[in-house]
Amino acid sequence: MEVAYGSGDGDENASAKVSGQDASMGAIFEQKYRPWEGKLGPRWIRNYAIFRHHVYGIFTSKGHRQYHAFVRLSIVVIFLGALTPIAMLFLSSLFGGTEDELARMWGVNRYNLWGQVLGYFPRNLCFWPLLTAMVVGGMISDDRKNGTSAIYFSRPVTRTDYTIMKFVSVAVILGFVIIFSYVAYYTAAIVFRGEGWAYLVDTLPLFIAGLFCGILLVFTYTSIGLALSSISQSRFFSAIAFLSVIYGTKLVALLVDAQFDSSILYILSPYDCLAHIGQYLLGIELNYDHPLSLSIVSILLMNTISIGILTTRVSSLEVTRE
Amino acid sequence: MVTSSGSSFVIETSELVKMYGPHLALDGVNLKLERGATGFLGPNGAGKSTFFKCILGLIKTTSGDGSVLGYDIRTQGEMIRSRIGYMPEYDSLDPDLIAIDQVRYSGELLGMNSKQATQRAHEVLEYVGLKDQRYRKIETFSTGMKQATKLACALIHDPEILICDEPTNGLDSRARTFMLDTLKKTVTDGGRSVLMSGHVMDDIQEVCENIVMIHQGRIVVHRQINELARQVDVEIEISVWGGSSKMQTALEERGMSVRRLGRVMRVKQDSPETINQILSTAADCNVQVRKLNEYKPDLEDIFLLIMERLGQEVKGAKDLMTEGHTGGGEDF
Repeated sequence: MEVAYGSGDGDENASAKVSGQDASMGAIFEQKYRPWEGKLGPRWIRNYAIFRHHVYGIFTSKGHRQYHAFVRLSIVVIFLGALTPIAMLFLSSLFGGTEDELARMWGVNRYNLWGQVLGYFPRNLCFWPLLTAMVVGGMISDDRKNGTSAIYFSRPVTRTDYTIMKFVSVAVILGFVIIFSYVAYYTAAIVFRGEGWAYLVDTLPLFIAGLFCGILLVFTYTSIGLALSSISQSRFFSAIAFLSVIYGTKLVALLVDAQFDSSILYILSPYDCLAHIGQYLLGIELNYDHPLSLSIVSILLMNTISIGILTTRVSSLEVTRE
Repeated sequence: MVTSSGSSFVIETSELVKMYGPHLALDGVNLKLERGATGFLGPNGAGKSTFFKCILGLIKTTSGDGSVLGYDIRTQGEMIRSRIGYMPEYDSLDPDLIAIDQVRYSGELLGMNSKQATQRAHEVLEYVGLKDQRYRKIETFSTGMKQATKLACALIHDPEILICDEPTNGLDSRARTFMLDTLKKTVTDGGRSVLMSGHVMDDIQEVCENIVMIHQGRIVVHRQINELARQVDVEIEISVWGGSSKMQTALEERGMSVRRLGRVMRVKQDSPETINQILSTAADCNVQVRKLNEYKPDLEDIFLLIMERLGQEVKGAKDLMTEGHTGGGEDF
């Protein structure tokens, strides 16, 4: 106070003593080490914790992996978009008989079952690639960026378990939207139109073929997406790279097909390989001139390479400082 | 306390060798660590991290044996990691999570169920001084709070061994003191063993009673810190005024060993008469001795001395160390 407001001549050594002693922080804190007598659970509990952390985060932000609100909102929009045929089935059940236009357009048939999973617009142009890009974006790249891989690998979590549980988590989220909407569509078609056992027996093989295509699509997109997530520290890179792979290969093949009338480059496009296999399995007219075997081999190669990259990159995640 | 194998050592290694291609990262490491706090010192690339990875069972050793708490490091890595708490040096926290969720999740990854992990997360966060901050997002934490959160993650399952990689990195004085006190308390009150690596000698000296020095993949020193300090030459530190060079020359002419840093000189104490000899030399040289005290070597001195000697011949640690430093034993 003397320094600020005093009546001296100002030539004295200006210093202020603020406090004679360190002020107390005012908190009562007794540091006490508490031992823990509990027993650690087995491997499946650890793996389930990884799964729960990633999957529950989609539904609730409390206590689990944080997904951006935009991501969660987008997933809801995509999910509702994938369910729109159900609404049309419902309308057709209200307004028409078995031969009405709505039932023909939206009801169960080879083309609609294929289209529910592998249709290009809007599902494979807008829905599934965007959904995958948003989900896989930070799945492994965030661990590399934040160093959280140390939290996993300094514990009894093996790299195999880590990779498998990350894979399963992404596949379940994608499956929840893609497979669930497909199954819901088929179920709704039976329930809303009151179909019987004969209808079920007739359409079940087609449904199972479509289901297989859905599982193959989820597996392929997950493996490619996670491979891209594992090679980077940026969730943005992973997402953009995935979209580039899906759209880029499709566009190049489309241009080559248009210019040279050859569909062979579609074997580079994950979507087109899946669509080719799906068309064959569901017995609809093939859009591709090249042999189906090439698409099958291509899908197998894409998955093998992706999983190879994924495991290699996961094995390079560090625990200790380099 | 005896481990599951019946040994009283918590960590034992025998001729442990790890090679990365042609590069020799660990060169026949023989080590037996008892319970308590042990500091790991060594320059960058000395092999500390590789050693930790080996004892955590994360990488395959090229040859040699080792066990942690009686578990084989080559085949029982998961068991070892269940009973060890590891606090990494660099950031290893999800910035989007709140502290309590981060610590709980790290417990769940060990196999704790959600309820146990949550309860324990509250306890350890209180222990590391983050009771009031446990519901804050980690991205809002200071470096000290992040370090404390990492410690809480490592302590959640009450591990028998706590491995801390440079736990005081980036901490201010207050946070550093609290961190070191917490580690000490974990050893003294909790009865846990702490392995702490670092470059700051004072930190290690404050927490640990034992020290292991690694240089180019070899254990060059493994002794109690106090014992090691006793084996370094005792010196008398004097601060002189008016004729330091003259004084230094006179002392050396009288057969004394002198290290000079400006006006401060350290004279090796060969006998109790050394102090009298210094004072008489000062009187003869007409130099004022303004300060005189016995200089107690700290870990920094020991470390620098040993590393300096090792620098002369990289792999010849045993030959280069004097009997005084090694204690005359086979192993340092």
